[in-house]
Amino acid sequence: MADPRLQSLAAIICGYSLDVQRGDLVKVSGPATSHEFIAAVIGEITRLGGNPLLRAGLPRIEAALLQGSDAQLTTVTEIDRIDSESPDKTLTIWADTNTRYMSGVAPERQAMWSRSRRSLTDRFFERLAAGEIGWCGVTLPTQAHAQDAGMSLAEYEDFVFGAGHVSDPDPIAFWREQSARQATAIERLARVSELRIVAEDTDLTLDVGGRTWLNADGRENFPDGEVFTSPVHEATRGHISFSFDATYQGHEFAGVRLWFEQGRVVRHEASRGAEFLGGMLDMDEGARLLGEVAFGMNDEIQRGTRNVAFDEKIGGTCHVALGAAFPEAGGTNRSSLHWDIVCDLRHGGEVYGDGELIAKDGRFL
Amino acid sequence: MIDPRIQGLARVICEYSLDLKPDQLVLIEGPALAEPLMLEMVKAALSLGAIPRVRPSTAGAQAAFLERADDDQLAFLAPTMLAEMAAIDARIAIHAAWNTRELSSVDPSKIAATQSARRPVLDLYMRRSAEGTLRWCVTAFPCDAFAQDADMSLDAYEDFVYRAGWLHLADPVAAWREFAGKLQQVVEKLSGFREMRVVSEHTDITLGVAGRRWIPCHGDRNFPDGEVFTAPIETETRGDVRFSYPAIFGGREVDDVRLRFEGGRVVKSEAAAGGDLLREMLAMDEGASILGEFAIGANYAVDRYSKQILFDEKIGGTCHMAVGAGYPESGSTNTSALHWDMVCDLRSGGEIHADGELIYRDGRFLPEFAPDLAPPAV
Repeated sequence: MADPRLQSLAAIICGYSLDVQRGDLVKVSGPATSHEFIAAVIGEITRLGGNPLLRAGLPRIEAALLQGSDAQLTTVTEIDRIDSESPDKTLTIWADTNTRYMSGVAPERQAMWSRSRRSLTDRFFERLAAGEIGWCGVTLPTQAHAQDAGMSLAEYEDFVFGAGHVSDPDPIAFWREQSARQATAIERLARVSELRIVAEDTDLTLDVGGRTWLNADGRENFPDGEVFTSPVHEATRGHISFSFDATYQGHEFAGVRLWFEQGRVVRHEASRGAEFLGGMLDMDEGARLLGEVAFGMNDEIQRGTRNVAFDEKIGGTCHVALGAAFPEAGGTNRSSLHWDIVCDLRHGGEVYGDGELIAKDGRFL
Repeated sequence: MIDPRIQGLARVICEYSLDLKPDQLVLIEGPALAEPLMLEMVKAALSLGAIPRVRPSTAGAQAAFLERADDDQLAFLAPTMLAEMAAIDARIAIHAAWNTRELSSVDPSKIAATQSARRPVLDLYMRRSAEGTLRWCVTAFPCDAFAQDADMSLDAYEDFVYRAGWLHLADPVAAWREFAGKLQQVVEKLSGFREMRVVSEHTDITLGVAGRRWIPCHGDRNFPDGEVFTAPIETETRGDVRFSYPAIFGGREVDDVRLRFEGGRVVKSEAAAGGDLLREMLAMDEGASILGEFAIGANYAVDRYSKQILFDEKIGGTCHMAVGAGYPESGSTNTSALHWDMVCDLRSGGEIHADGELIYRDGRFLPEFAPDLAPPAV
């Protein structure tokens, strides 16, 4: 018997996140092992009048395809193009059975594969930003993700479904209310030009004047719950420290502290992962500049799980990201890096907007 | 440790059946449970320089769609499907299932509606196949659901499947090439006859084949394989046929199918069970009650009915007929969204007469007519 929460999640994703309309061509992509959720989603898309298009994946085969010749690796076939360009809406299911499934493939070959598909991904994100197409990425609990989070599967399921309010009597009503709450925070933040974040071992000032705050309310990511923008990247000053252990591309970090002057990281420290941190900062011109500042507003997420997709949404935290900015927020920093750094504000943290206290202990006043 | 017969099957299909060439785009479709075979096919295709793409289906997805879909959704043809069928150079379809009755609660008219919607894709498939610009192969991956239908354990069923592909031989490709030569002799002998008459218990049916082509099937489009087929003239089929094994469509069985033909068309259909489905399918469209194919099964390593048409129609000593679409390369002009094969056992007293001459008896061509088609022993 499938977990009834999967059915509920499918109804939220199709009815709220993707907002499937009659006649929509909806692509569903994800590992074939998540077949119970896939079947539930296909059923929901169909019930709403959409036309489902299943594109299930097999991770071992994805890895095998990267072992071909350079020409085989980089060929973008007509099938790839059609599958990318045809759907009105796309659901990406993240549900690994082994989060290290690509570890046998050299990183250069993964990069070569990604580069060869740049034209498709660029076009996809342009159309997404223009509102021509819809997209949602959803995380499902799996043994592999639970293992990375240091939890049993049952515990991790409760954590993931709880974060999405999937078992609420009316989850979609919850997400609409959450969206409204976040909109209220955005109203306040939109009037702010200079943002100052003060917490333990953190005092950072950013310029967000003229930038657009965006409401991450469960439409493009699920679970979700944050408001974010891209700061004026030349203006950041002060320092910030990570409150949670983090992993990035399989590397672990602890005790990370960064100092900024004129927007740029001028000093960095880490009790673990310092060397890799330095390499990341030197990746390209934009890697030492901030591309994002955001406030996590999902109160169901209370603990770090070494998965930034969840950590950055912890209610009462803020995060800044080194690297690529969001054009739709008005950001102009460019980088191959986008690395989120989460800072806990729940215990004495303060946020000032143009000198006025607007949030305390992780709560907007 | 992977079963070496899976690697063997993947190699025979990529190298022999499809003869994949560098840069060819090959699409591999099948249920995700066939992952071990898909993986070996991807490796085999890559080693030949081809570009493989895989399209796994997942348990329950099709049923979830069919149960809820309305007429518009059933009639919808995704724009990806025609474009894809035009773009690929080769296609492998792997048959396997978690449960062969997965669609048993779905209204058969809905399944028929989706098939009608895909008609332009099937037509393009057939056309490109006839032009020689698209190679394709249908195969099967042994699984518990198929084994259960065949009343076998999975181990025994794996042996059955791989023996049927002669993968137990040291050099299966050589055996299939030799078999191809013999089948060529058979079709040369069959060509030129005007009429085929099949006589067996409760069966006496005559088909016009003048001017139609006999096609030898030696492992290129089906694997395992072993048959010769042609396209009956659409207006000439007459008489009665009683099929020996249940006809299966979408996981449903129709038992003891008896059809009467006049002027090429089914004029009476009967079945011991499943008659409603039979009538519904025959009424699907204009071409659904006309034969698109007549064939003689010639794989003598397939010696039992297993409820999978891929194997059943190849049973050495049987013939089969398909109502619905025929293959243009055999000369068929019948078009339909349906192509439904039904098998008639000729091993006990069955006969085939060609223009009045007895050429086949008790499941074998007469020795003076054609070479022995049995595969080499190990």
